[in-house]
Amino acid sequence: MNHALIQFFVAVVFGTMIFSHLTKKNFGASMAYGVQSLAVAALLFGSFLETQNKLILIVVICALIVKVVMAPLFFSRLIRKHALMFSASTYLNTPLTLIAIAILTFIAHSQKFAAVTGIVPANQALLSLALAAMFLSLFLIVNRKGALSHIIGILSLENSIVVFTIFAGLEQSPALQLGILFNIFIWLMIAQVFISMLYKHFGSLNITSMQSLKG
Amino acid sequence: MELVLIFSSLLIAVLVCLFVKRRIVVECASLLAVAIALVESILVALRVAAHGEYSPHVFFSVDALGALVMLIISIVGCATVGYSIAYLRKETAQNVIGQRRVRQYFILLNLFLMAMFLAITANHPIFAWIAIEATTLATAFLISFYNKPSAMEAAWKYLVINSVGLLLGFFGTLLYFTAMHSLDGNEFVSWQMLLQNAAFLDPLIAKIAFIFVLIGYGTKVGLAPMHTWLPDAHSKAPAPISALLSGVLLNVALVVVLRFKLITDAVVEPSFSQILLIVLGLLSIFIVALIMLTQNNYKRLLAYSSIENMGIMSLGFGFGGLGVVGAIMHMMYHALIKSTLFLSAGTIFLRYHSTKIAKIRGMLTALPVSGALFFIGFLAITGTPPFGIFFSKVLIVTGGMHVHPMMSALALVLMAILFIGFFKQVSAMAFGDVPTEVEVGEKNIWLILPPLALLVLFVVLSFYLPPFLSTLIRSAASHY
Repeated sequence: MNHALIQFFVAVVFGTMIFSHLTKKNFGASMAYGVQSLAVAALLFGSFLETQNKLILIVVICALIVKVVMAPLFFSRLIRKHALMFSASTYLNTPLTLIAIAILTFIAHSQKFAAVTGIVPANQALLSLALAAMFLSLFLIVNRKGALSHIIGILSLENSIVVFTIFAGLEQSPALQLGILFNIFIWLMIAQVFISMLYKHFGSLNITSMQSLKG
Repeated sequence: MELVLIFSSLLIAVLVCLFVKRRIVVECASLLAVAIALVESILVALRVAAHGEYSPHVFFSVDALGALVMLIISIVGCATVGYSIAYLRKETAQNVIGQRRVRQYFILLNLFLMAMFLAITANHPIFAWIAIEATTLATAFLISFYNKPSAMEAAWKYLVINSVGLLLGFFGTLLYFTAMHSLDGNEFVSWQMLLQNAAFLDPLIAKIAFIFVLIGYGTKVGLAPMHTWLPDAHSKAPAPISALLSGVLLNVALVVVLRFKLITDAVVEPSFSQILLIVLGLLSIFIVALIMLTQNNYKRLLAYSSIENMGIMSLGFGFGGLGVVGAIMHMMYHALIKSTLFLSAGTIFLRYHSTKIAKIRGMLTALPVSGALFFIGFLAITGTPPFGIFFSKVLIVTGGMHVHPMMSALALVLMAILFIGFFKQVSAMAFGDVPTEVEVGEKNIWLILPPLALLVLFVVLSFYLPPFLSTLIRSAASHY
């Protein structure tokens, strides 16, 4: 695959993470996840073009079905069902969030992680960006109060790890990748059921409204 | 053959629970499956003790520690399934749950047991990760089983924190695969291959990878400061599930951490992983010591005690030498006694309809056997002589005295504080007048037998270890 195209897809993964932090609407965040997953699937397709391994093509198709089609559809259904249009509730305000994003991106590019991002020296910039996307996913889970954002954060973290493995040459066998995808699919189903049950019990998906464990 | 029988019997039990509506069939299928698993686990343990590592297929491998944990899963699993039958019948009679929920419960319980067996026998680190993630998915609905807001909140917390933790663990796991650069990407990479190729691993990457693994799987182990989900999840789940979560699942995750420790130690100084384990172990004990005195819920008390005990095991593995022997014995003893405690806590809950310590008075009068089991369990878990946990703690602290005397002394002081905290709470429950609305006397023998069997086994193993168990412990200690 063309190097510029690869850079573009990794930039899309990183960019969608920033967008997920800044968007005020749940729908925007779920669409960002869909776009991010599409970029990841495109990178996996690049692996297929390189290796011509048909099993990788199956992985790509499964990733497309689970992450690009099903996940955003699930999210949209939940958003419509529970009228969860807006979920801008964060612990840090936007300027502070941007500062935190900048710091995390800097840390991912710093010498502290040079050993990790230098696994394949030719891909150091791409690995640094994937690591930054991982950090931003974790920050999304920590900074957002909405349960839906937590799900998107966890799924984005998984996407970022997949991107990292591609450029670090740590891709697992297609059979294992399918196993991991199956796990994610089940996780997604369970998370969807939980979101509905949480809404039923608490009337909100804001985790600060869940106080029943206190006292 | 043994592993095939274990997995197929549990899978058949899941299918029976899915498609058969008759309760008795569901219960019998689950009991039979776990009984088969117990027999087969014993056979595997005997084989490993006699011939060393058992690898019936490229995907599966059982070493000495794996065989011990398989025994723990099947023994506690057997007691749990047996207890669940009586426990759920009582809850159905009290209209707490319906018949459909009983089937769901046994489906998830069998899946949970199967995932734990898979995690411990998987010969591929990623395969083990998938199985550990599967335990999270199977248990999330078991924690929220009562469908109450607090149970939902606990289950959500469990799902999110553990999923994040396991993804970090997954990243750490992948970093270890950098050692395999010289191999074809599609080759099956076993634990042994990772260890054999450890020399190709960059020491700095090994350190970073171990930190990720320790934080990731350590979340599942319940080590502080990643422990926050554990008291909520273990206290909100039905009592038999809490027994499995506390007594078994934490050990399964710890074994995965130890397998990565082995690889890390082959690349960098063992002191690196040892210090990390000691720090997290001590922190876990310290945090629980602070919290124990102020607890007002006896199931949470037991959950915090699990964090403490995982911390003690972590200390033992960190100290090395004699500490490792102590930690392995502690793992076995803790699994048996903590399950006894949770199962008897379930009976206390059924009688008093509350998990608040303040509402439990006269436990030894109201429930002469279950109350006594709980009380003896408390004495045993806090390390009172002459029970096995006393000896395992002595071994761990003795092991630590040679290498980290200050840390060992601090651990001893914290354990003493914990004993006082635990004693204050349990003595308040055990004695006093039984509330007038609470019936006196044991009503169901099937609620007594499973925890009693576990306690008897615990007491026997405290004084006598069968030769095959001694061999497994020695072999595991020399390996880890």
